[in-house]
Amino acid sequence: MLTGLVIVSFALPLAGALSSFVSASSDESIRITYGAYALGGLSALAAAIGSFVGPFAGALAPIQAFFFGIIGIGTFLASLYAIAYIPLYRESYASAWHASAFALFLIGMEAVVLSPSVLAFLIAWELMSISGYFLVISERTPDAFRAGVEYLVMTQLGFAAIASGMLLLAGGAPFATWQEVAASAAQLSGVARGVAFVLLLAGFGSKAGLVPLHQWLPKAHSQAPSHASALLSGVMLKVALFGFILSVSLFPGIPLALSALVIALGLLSAFFGALHAAVEDDLKRLLAWSSIENLGLIFSGVGAVVMLGALPQSPLVSAMAAGMVTFVILHTLNHALMKLSLFLSAGTIVAKTHTRDLDALGGLAAAWPVFSGVVLALSLAAAALPPFGTFFGEWAYLQALVLGLSAPLPASIAAALVLGIIGLVGGLAAFAFVKLFSTVFLGRARSEHAAHAVAGERPSLLLVVPPALGALALLGTGLFVLPLLSAQAPLSAHALFASTVLASGAAMNAWLVLVLLGGALLLAFLAARAFASERGARVTGTWDCGTPLTPRMEQTATGFAAPVRFFFRAIVLAEKEVTAEPVVATNPWIAKRRILWSVDSFWERYAYRPIAALVLRTARAMRRMQNGVVQAYLLFMFIALIIVLVIAAV
Amino acid sequence: MSIASLLFVFFQGLALLALAPLVTGMIRRVKALLQNRRGAPVCQPYWTFATLMRKEMTIPEHSSWVYRFVPFAVLGTTLALALVTPSIGFGAWGPSISNIFLFVAIAALGSVFLVFGGMDTGSTFGNMGSNREMTLAALAEPAFFLVLATLAFFAGSASLDGILAFFARTPWHAGTLVVAPTLLALLLVTLAENARYPVDNPATHLELTMVHEAMILEYSGPYLAMLEYASALRLALFGALFMNLLLPFGLATPAAGALALLVGLVLLAVKLALFALLVGLIESLVVKMRFYRMQEYFTLTFFIAFAGAVIVLAHIL
Repeated sequence: MLTGLVIVSFALPLAGALSSFVSASSDESIRITYGAYALGGLSALAAAIGSFVGPFAGALAPIQAFFFGIIGIGTFLASLYAIAYIPLYRESYASAWHASAFALFLIGMEAVVLSPSVLAFLIAWELMSISGYFLVISERTPDAFRAGVEYLVMTQLGFAAIASGMLLLAGGAPFATWQEVAASAAQLSGVARGVAFVLLLAGFGSKAGLVPLHQWLPKAHSQAPSHASALLSGVMLKVALFGFILSVSLFPGIPLALSALVIALGLLSAFFGALHAAVEDDLKRLLAWSSIENLGLIFSGVGAVVMLGALPQSPLVSAMAAGMVTFVILHTLNHALMKLSLFLSAGTIVAKTHTRDLDALGGLAAAWPVFSGVVLALSLAAAALPPFGTFFGEWAYLQALVLGLSAPLPASIAAALVLGIIGLVGGLAAFAFVKLFSTVFLGRARSEHAAHAVAGERPSLLLVVPPALGALALLGTGLFVLPLLSAQAPLSAHALFASTVLASGAAMNAWLVLVLLGGALLLAFLAARAFASERGARVTGTWDCGTPLTPRMEQTATGFAAPVRFFFRAIVLAEKEVTAEPVVATNPWIAKRRILWSVDSFWERYAYRPIAALVLRTARAMRRMQNGVVQAYLLFMFIALIIVLVIAAV
Repeated sequence: MSIASLLFVFFQGLALLALAPLVTGMIRRVKALLQNRRGAPVCQPYWTFATLMRKEMTIPEHSSWVYRFVPFAVLGTTLALALVTPSIGFGAWGPSISNIFLFVAIAALGSVFLVFGGMDTGSTFGNMGSNREMTLAALAEPAFFLVLATLAFFAGSASLDGILAFFARTPWHAGTLVVAPTLLALLLVTLAENARYPVDNPATHLELTMVHEAMILEYSGPYLAMLEYASALRLALFGALFMNLLLPFGLATPAAGALALLVGLVLLAVKLALFALLVGLIESLVVKMRFYRMQEYFTLTFFIAFAGAVIVLAHIL
């Protein structure tokens, strides 16, 4: 039964892709193809749920079932959305090739999670990565190709790291199952294990967008069509996380220095991701930066779990580990839901306004009240505010850190510092999403494009339903998933409403929070009803100090982020230059002013470009040897042979 | 939740609701007296709210449903905070609702909606206040987290009720002096979260200051009353929390009788008056900082909070 569901979840995407070769561009065939994908996603989700509860429980390992379920949710939401979205871009996306790449991408991700051995994993990983490349270049614009090349280079370097790390662990046996790999890893020397760990961290970290291997991510995820970006950002990053967790589980034990490295890289990524999201003014790139932030947080949680597992066990250590595990599970699910829904919403916004530039948007809330409400909920969820599930995930993280304050001395101060970092990251993430929602939906339209969209028709129902489902599910993760994570084995209805109590006595119950917030809002409504005058409201002009207001006077996203750019100018490398050209020679005030500003990537300036320059310089130096004289080449070969022989002799 | 706790919570919430405008009035009066002015009577904010509630509203033409929802959301979140904050006493809430991070998050939720209100007007005034408020909220977060976490560690409980219960058990115990830097950091966070000097000037909405008052510039009539009242309430409840930690005397519990409740109420009024005096003094002695120097203020706040954490964690004192 369960096997059947899994087979269906592979077969339906294949069937859908094949059907798209018959006729790709009619609405009917798009509906059949992507409808098949969506059903495949549903059956994957059903298989995942079925291996947690019911008669077939335990068919998949819990971690496999969890990630398989996330892939199922992502496939369902993105494919459902694609049914309405692809007809809007019939020329570029409604092709059998796009549909096939999409299907292979889905199959690749599912196969990665289910793969039983090293070789199967690597093949599935490549299938996912390569078909991901074709999704990134779907637009076939120069920007898309550039982003695609960068994606391909990084993903192949990452693949090389993963393959060598896994084969190192497996002792060179490509057909080894995971148990055999774990057994062989136990035989390895500490140095070899360390090298394998760093290789695997680099490989999976580059896929998950960990700093400093993250440069490709905002470009690739923003160039892909939105239904594909949703999967790239919401689900593929989780598959990278799955790969990392899987490989960590293969090690017999991980030294503290390496788990500390994971925590440090995770926090660094969280900080850079949140900061760049706060200053970014491209809608989809902002979302991609936020993915880097969230994956960074999750990796730091995984690193903490690994570190705590390696410490001598005590009630404090196990309580902290329990909190961190809760965070990792809940946040992985939350981030998948929120990023899927936000990218799908971004797709609708871009489709209607034809721009991704936040500086050119605005005023959509008045025209599209329902859709704006959905995105408002998603933005609050992305800012980790209650009553959404994201808050409860981060709460578990923070409580684990509070527990960490009672650890012995250097560790407790480290926990205090991490609390501060999480606070800053959370604040910047909230800043980014408040900026996103306000500049897209509030105030007045800042450009003709946006004004045109405001005047145009509302997004069709099918474009709004998938993100709305995501927003509802984000409420559900706090209400249902949080209590289930701490529930005891025979489930009762009561367990669903119980508080999650940590060893420290701290507790959380999402239902109570919902009742408190809802009750307080109701009180505010009733109070206003009881006390406010009957005279009602009158719509008037906005206060304008006597000068007619134009949309150009509104703040743009660039202006909104100005304080953050200024305060963190040393890190985002913000530069601003104002030039004034006097129009009238005698009066300096009458001048043509021009402002140039830029932010740059810290890592690109101080790591990528110097390395690229070094490589080019070396290549130029090496070119002198390429003089075309055959004797010289023979000499080089002779010298190389001697060196090899000497090494072999030693 | 028992009936006694429920009654206690509502009594406590009502007390804060009733006293909140008085705190604002007293701060203004203290400032006026220190500036050799007579100033408005301390009850003036009540009359202002009553007047505003009777007025007709104007709604800016380019706003959406968000603009109309904001006053309810801001007042609602502040009411939720007022119900949660242990002001007269502690012990009514379970550990979930009284959790420290939930308090921070609900406060942040209120700030976020206020920011939406400022952004939905289409006017630069509101926009400018909004981005500044959001920046301040982001920068204040690390110190706020750290202060509450330090108190939680010190008291051995991650709930506001538990923290106050610990302080009330050992008021002015020599050991509690070690949290002095933490409380100082809490005061600095309180000033920032409530748009007071040196972060914001609550008396004007000129371009130079422009944070809280700029965001609500377009609001009028009942909506303005709701927002102003929410801001007075927020100040009062942060003040109650701070003063209860500083002077943990006479705190009631739901199990205590009516007399204890009454004593708690009177003491709350006294503590809030002291808080008003303190804020009034600070506002008369300190100048407002330039907005673009705010990172200095928040770095200082964070380092005081961090020093407080280190002192508590390392048992230095």
